[in-house]
Parts: sequence; C-alpha cells; structure tokens
Amino acid sequence: MEIAAVVLLAGLVVGYFVLAGCDIGLGMLLPHLARTPGERRRLVSAVAPYFLGTEVWLVGAVGVVAGLFPALKHEVIVAQWPVFVAILAGWLWRDAGLWLRPRADNTVWRGTWDVAITAGSWTLALGWGLVVGGLLSGGRPLSPFALACAVTVVALFALRGAAFGAERLVPADRPEPAATAGGNAAESADVAAGATRHLARGAAMALLFTALTAAFSTGAPEGRPVAAAAVAAGLALVLGVTSGLWGPRLSRHTSALAMAAPPVAVALAVELPVVAAPQGTLTLVGYALAPLVPVMILGQVWLYRMLRQPAASSGFFA
Amino acid sequence: MLEDPLLLARLQFALTAGTHYMFVALTLGLAPFILFGQLRATLARDEARMRAVRFWGGLYLVNYGMGILSGLVMELQLATNWAGLNDMFGYAFSAPLAVETMAAFFVESTFLGLWIFGWDRMGRWSHLACFLVVTATAYASAYWVLVANGFLKNPVGFEIRDGEAVLTDSGALLTNPSTLLAFGHATTGALLLGGLVVAAVSAYHLARGHDPDGMFRRGITSGLTVTAAAVMPVVAFGGTQYALFGNEPPTSGRSLSATEIARVEEDYGGGAAHAVGEVGHVLMTLCWTAIAGVAAAGLVLWLVNRLHRWRWFHWMLVFSPFLPYIASLGGWAFRETGRQPWTVTHHLTTADAMTEMSPAMAVLSFSLFTVAFAVLAAVTYWLLVRFARRGPEGGPLAPRPEEPDSDPQLPVHRF
Repeated sequence: MEIAAVVLLAGLVVGYFVLAGCDIGLGMLLPHLARTPGERRRLVSAVAPYFLGTEVWLVGAVGVVAGLFPALKHEVIVAQWPVFVAILAGWLWRDAGLWLRPRADNTVWRGTWDVAITAGSWTLALGWGLVVGGLLSGGRPLSPFALACAVTVVALFALRGAAFGAERLVPADRPEPAATAGGNAAESADVAAGATRHLARGAAMALLFTALTAAFSTGAPEGRPVAAAAVAAGLALVLGVTSGLWGPRLSRHTSALAMAAPPVAVALAVELPVVAAPQGTLTLVGYALAPLVPVMILGQVWLYRMLRQPAASSGFFA
Repeated sequence: MLEDPLLLARLQFALTAGTHYMFVALTLGLAPFILFGQLRATLARDEARMRAVRFWGGLYLVNYGMGILSGLVMELQLATNWAGLNDMFGYAFSAPLAVETMAAFFVESTFLGLWIFGWDRMGRWSHLACFLVVTATAYASAYWVLVANGFLKNPVGFEIRDGEAVLTDSGALLTNPSTLLAFGHATTGALLLGGLVVAAVSAYHLARGHDPDGMFRRGITSGLTVTAAAVMPVVAFGGTQYALFGNEPPTSGRSLSATEIARVEEDYGGGAAHAVGEVGHVLMTLCWTAIAGVAAAGLVLWLVNRLHRWRWFHWMLVFSPFLPYIASLGGWAFRETGRQPWTVTHHLTTADAMTEMSPAMAVLSFSLFTVAFAVLAAVTYWLLVRFARRGPEGGPLAPRPEEPDSDPQLPVHRF
C-alpha cells in the first residue's frame, strides 16, 4: 500500500510533465508558430481540449501530496512559496486565456488572451524549472546550478511543444497538395517540426552548461549525484538523437522521454521526506480510488485517441 | 489591515472559496438539466431538442471554466497559505481532498474534454455517456469536498498521535452528519439556482416572443418545476443543521483541554466576521422566502395555463437568479464564520493554521489573486449574460456555419 502511494505520486508527476508539456510548450511557441489570425485560432484549438486532460494530473498530484505526504508538501511547496505562487498565477491566466479567447471575435480581445496564454505558459515552464532546480540543488534555487537546471527545463518544455505542434497543427481539411502551391497550409506544423531540431540542440547546450556548473560551482546536486548524472546522460542521448536529421520524425517519442527526465532526476537524486501516510488514510484513499482507476484510464486513453487527429478549425475552443 | 497577514489570508480564502462556490453551484444546478435534455434528445433522435442542449451546454461550459480556475487556486492556496492545517490534520482533512482531486475532478475534467470535443464526432450514446460521467463526478466532487469541510466543523474519526491526527474511523468521517446535511443542503440549493437560471433565461426569450423549437417554453416549465421541487428540501436540510449547533465534537479535548478551549473562545471577540455571518443568515432567509414566493406564483400560473404568456411574470423571473446567488453566498458565510475562531473545531485555531508568512508576502498573494479573480469573474458573468441573451443561434457550442476564414478562395473567373 505504501509503495502504491509512492508510485501513484511519481506517476502523476511524470504524467503531468510528459502530457502537459505538450500544451504548455505549444503555448510558449504561440507567437513564433502562429502568425495569422487563422493560424492562431488553429493553435489554440490544438491546445485547448487537450489541457483539460493534462492539468488534472497536476491537480491529482497536489491532492496526493496533501493527503498522503504532508511532510513532502512542507518540504517542496511551502519551502518554495514564491515560485508556487508564480506557477499558480501563470496557470490561472493561461487557462483563462484558453477558455475566454474564443468567446469573442475582435482583435483586441484575442490579442489580450494570446498574451495571457503565452506569458502563462512561459511562467509555468520557468516555474517548474525553478522548482526542479531548487530541489536538485538541495534548496538553493538561486545558485548557478539551479538556474541552469531551470533553463534546461524551459528548453525541454519548448521542445515538447514543438514536437506536439508538428502533429496537431496540420490542418484537418488539408487540401490537395496542388491547391496549396501558392501558400503552405501546414506552415505552422512545418515550422514546429523544423524547430524541434534547434530546440533539441539548445536543450543539449543548456544541459551541458548545467553539468559544468554542477562540476565547478557551489549548489551542485546533493543526495545522490550518480543517479542525477545517469539521468542527465540519458537525457543527453535522447536530445542528441532529436538533434539529428531524423529529429522531427522521432521527436514525438524523444520529447516525451526528455520531459520525463526532470521529475525522474528529482525522484532518484533527491532525498525527499517520503513518509507514507498511516494505514487508515491509505485504506480510505485506496478503496475510494480503486474502482475509479479504470474510468480514469479509459477517459485519458479515449481523449488522447480522439485528439490524435489534427485540430479542428471550428468548435468550442476555436 | 494590511499589517495583519492573518486577516489578509482569511479574507483571501473567503473570497476564493466564495467565488468558487458561485460558479460551482451553477455547474451543479445546470448539469442535470443538460443530462436529461440530452437523454430525451438522444432517445427521440430529436435535432431540435439537441439544439437546446447545445445552448444550455454552452452556458454550462462558460461558467465551468471559471469554476475550474477558482478551484485550482483554492486547492493550491490551502497548500501554500494554510500549512498549519495540513501539518496537524493532513492525514485526516486532506485525504478526502486527495480523493476529490483524483476520483472526481480528474475524471470530470477528462470526460468534459471528451464531451466538448465529441459534438458531431462521437456516437450519440457515447456522447451522452460522457456527460453522465461529468454529472456524476461533479456531485461526487461536491460530496468529497464537503467531507473535508464537514470535518473542520465537526471533527470525527481520528486520534491525536504525536501532535498529528491519525484517521481511525473512516466510516465516521464519511457519514459525518455535518457532511451529509451540508451535502443535501448545498446540492438542493444548487438545483434552486440552476432551476431559476434556466427559468430566467427562458423567460427573457419568451418575453421577447423568441422561442425556437419551443425550447424556452420547455425551459421555463422545467426550470420552475425543479425550483419548486427543491425549495422545501433545501430548507429541511438547512434547518436540521441548527440542531447540531453548539454540540461539542465527539473528539473535543483530544488535543486541547477544556480550559484551553474555553480560553480561546473567550478571547475571540467575534467582531466583523460574526457580523458578516449574521448578515448572511438574514439574507439567506429573506432570499429563500422570495424564491418560495416566485416558485409558488409560477406553479399557480402554470395551473391556470398563463405561464408562457404573462410577460410581467417573465420580467420578474429574469431577475430572480440574484436571489439564490445571494442566498448561497449568505448561507456559506454563515456556516464558515460560525466556526470561528476555530479552523478545526476545538482542535486548531485559525491563527495557528496559517503558514508563517511576512506581511509583504501576504499582501502580494492577496492583491495578485483578488484582482485576477475580480477581472475573471466579471468577464465570465458578462459572457454568460451575453450568450444567454443571444440565444441558441449564437452560443459557443452552436454548430458554426462554414466560414471562408482568412484563407481567401481563389477567384473563379467566368467568361
């Protein structure tokens, strides 16, 4: 039962990074990938139904931390209060942008919420970067090592978003190739696919820099540096593969692996106060959750299968 | 006021929870209308009824967005601002919240995404099943949140070991009378609100002679029927809770002795919070009386077959949703201020429950989120009114006609 609680929490956090990385990263790249009003609308409708299914992983993780690991909550959330307030503010404005942007059709309204979506996505990525950096550096979030970690995590979010965009931004009603001779209908998707290689290289550089700061400055990882180095080596390999010619094609899977690296590194390398909850609480939560786990899995799988198609150009979020 | 982080943190939480509750109550109140509307439309393969479901569903979704946003902020605020509560009661108070996030909210949000995305893309029965899951989990969510809230009011089912509460009796926690009565009261109250909103929007369109496919005649009848059916249960569930007033929780004395408890309660003057609670109590009672009057008038008009025709009654209905909103907020303020000075009755004071933070941090957090909430709530209500007035043709879920978009068609030359 205790190990189940730990696995549940780790699974929720990794799931959040891997899945929400897609819509956060795509939100970060909004101004770059989508320039015309039509492209922006398609980009937001590519992000929007998806975020409903991804942010719940974080909500679940926070619930599990609060209910089953109160000591962990003290160590992670209360100790990094300002960062979490920033994350919360970014989250709030980003979601508000996604809900409200399609509700009215004028340039100022949509422009305002585009800013909210982009700024909120960047705030979230940077906030999670600072949290990862703060945890890996043993509570020194402003040390060079922690800041380098944060930059790496931001680059990974952007990479994940670009890989997601390369798939989802292809227009649903793609005309015959001949008809698009004058202009490229899938331009956003092509730009996103091209960006994956550059972002992978950028992330690899940031990772190298992080390794250098870990070796030569204070604030290097405490706890288990070997585990952290192993995860970093795996991440470097994945980024190396994505930087190559096959990068755009492989990025769908490699970016997912890369996004899993930060939470896995924290889980393996940092000594967190993981004291499982007493039996009574575990039993209550276990019995309440067990019958619903199949429904949760069904809903998630169903949602992602439906969303494998390119984004629609009309609907609630377009 | 700005020097007191406790006051700011309390006010911030009250504003967050109050905002959250206003949107959540409409979510709970509208969901059954949409579910049964969609069920009938699906059974009868009725396109006209389905257009009505799209209309009410659009309003539901606009409202739901703000419900999620405020809920997220509220959950994280419990973690950031009220660490003392979790340090002592993490294993008892937060466990139902953990279940709520995972079992209810996780499933609800995922299936709502499916429902939104599934219009015109899914089989009609699968699509209906998605909304069935959404409705069921919305009510399950309300139950689990009230398990946590009822625990604060009437803490049961735990022992104190080394200064931490350890859950010993899950059954007592889940069947806490403070939880069950509040659940009955809040859900029937939400149905009052949902019923009156449906009736008010329908009345607005009927008064202007606008009734596509007869959807607003059906709306005003079903809205008033639900309101009339819920008006007595809501007061029954609410009134029964008065019997619990002044009862000591069964766990009283396990963390603080009787003299310490008495000292805390003596030191607490009551003051503004008490006054707010009393005002809330009076407003709730007055608004309930008015709602009962509206529902009775509606029933009489329905019996004499004038419900769809008398415009003065329609215009009265248009403004009636203010009543359940005020009653909900007033009742909620009455409940929450009634527990002061305690966060967990006879165990933990509100002052001890708060995270130690500097006044600057408290001011920053307060102003950041209060301003954001004021803006977002105002925008959401503006949108709700706008879409309600536009009617089914312009709703957010309305099937959009193919528009030429920004990609200009190649000119066709005719010779």
